[in-house]
Amino acid sequence: MSEQNISVALDRDHRSLSLAEEKVAMEVKNWNLYYGTKQALKDINMIVPEHRVTAFIGPSGCGKSTLLRCFNRMNDLIDIVNVDGEMTLHGDDVYAKEMNVASLRRRVGMVFQKPNPFPKTIYENVAYGLRLQGINDKGILDETVEWALKGAGLWEEVKDRLNENALGMSGGQQQRLCIARAIAIKPEVLLLDEPTSALDPISTLAIEELIFELKKEFTILIVTHNMQQAARVSDYTAFMYMGELIEYTDTDSLFTNPQMKRTEDYITGRYG
Amino acid sequence: MERTEFKSHISEQLNRNLEDLFNQVLEMGGLVERQLENAVTAVENSDVSLAKEVLQIDKVINKEEMEIDRLCARVLARQQPTASDLRLIIIAIRIAVDLERMGDEVVKTAKLVIKMADSDVVCSELPGYGALLEITSCANTMLKKVLNAFARLELSEVVSVVEDEERMDNSLKAAMVDVLAGFNAHEIAPEYLLEMVYALRASERVTDHAANIAESIVYLVDGRDVRNMDTEKLSELLSSIE
Repeated sequence: MSEQNISVALDRDHRSLSLAEEKVAMEVKNWNLYYGTKQALKDINMIVPEHRVTAFIGPSGCGKSTLLRCFNRMNDLIDIVNVDGEMTLHGDDVYAKEMNVASLRRRVGMVFQKPNPFPKTIYENVAYGLRLQGINDKGILDETVEWALKGAGLWEEVKDRLNENALGMSGGQQQRLCIARAIAIKPEVLLLDEPTSALDPISTLAIEELIFELKKEFTILIVTHNMQQAARVSDYTAFMYMGELIEYTDTDSLFTNPQMKRTEDYITGRYG
Repeated sequence: MERTEFKSHISEQLNRNLEDLFNQVLEMGGLVERQLENAVTAVENSDVSLAKEVLQIDKVINKEEMEIDRLCARVLARQQPTASDLRLIIIAIRIAVDLERMGDEVVKTAKLVIKMADSDVVCSELPGYGALLEITSCANTMLKKVLNAFARLELSEVVSVVEDEERMDNSLKAAMVDVLAGFNAHEIAPEYLLEMVYALRASERVTDHAANIAESIVYLVDGRDVRNMDTEKLSELLSSIE
């Protein structure tokens, strides 16, 4: 009998991921960003793999949030920001002159640190993006609101009070509502900027679990101060330091065997 | 504690990883069980092909150990397990080491069968033959008990495993006296007798590892470290837990 015939399921689904084998949702080439004269991002090169969760970690001021905001051009709102380099979303140049920023942000949704529901009903919060697009058909709205709330793991909790004001919900529920609002318009990519830093540990776990589910439908980028959160939720992790992308690899490798000393020192708490 | 506790986290990923780890340990244990069964039959029937299968299975067991280590490292690095989850990781690593060593030890018994096939002496003519069968069979029974205890997270058979281990110590001592007499009788070539010594000692080591696993399971279920505790005290402790 040969070794191969011995029926054991070695290496079930524990096989490490590899960036080289991923489909590309977004790509960043030679990317630089300046706040006035101060360079905040230095020659960033990376791909964002499709249907995966990619986390950015690094000390405060390392540029992770700044980079995240580049993906849907939120930095356009800051006058002193200048960028150069190339950034694409499924092949489309994100910074092209003809790119409509509003439609870009439909394709690349965002959820912020602090839940920011509108002072409207739960239903209207989720339907908001669709209405902006001119969709007012009740059937479509009902269906999408239910789909998005289910996707955000909130439907069971709120289905009987869709017409109540969203501001009456708990912080964790509000954040999941913001996620529902973001996914309702079915973006290709979802940017999460510290989505749980204002939440208690259990709500945090619920959001983390949700992120894991959402990647089936969306490509997710998350910035987190909480390194353990990156370890828990992400498939790939990028470690940034002083505007540079120091190491970017699958999360298993980064947290068990980082290749760069800076990464090792940071994740083991030797500086930062 | 119910087994389902390992499946009741908010994080489905953690549930899945711990479940995988559980299954992987049981699977690795199953392979060692198969090695032991094959070893007993191979000794009884001088079956060289079964003995060779024991060697093949050992290679897979070695890979399983690495896989379990990898899975444990992954859960430790990524999911920060605590309490019973943390104990599961700690003992999974320990049990994997014990199982891997058991696999290596069973190979020594298989090698006896292979060696004797090239001689004009059959295993059953060697002094210590009966003890070898007894210890190997008992090791298999002990392994079954500890794997059941692990699968069910319950400790009712742990004491009997530790008692079995002590009994097998004595069987080994008695067998060694017989083999020594064999050396003195000069009827069988010393190289074969020596092979029997290796196999006997190895089989007894298998029972030691099974007892180690039993202790690991107590740590998993109850959180207490019972290594180096004498049997009487252990038995008292376990009856207070049940």
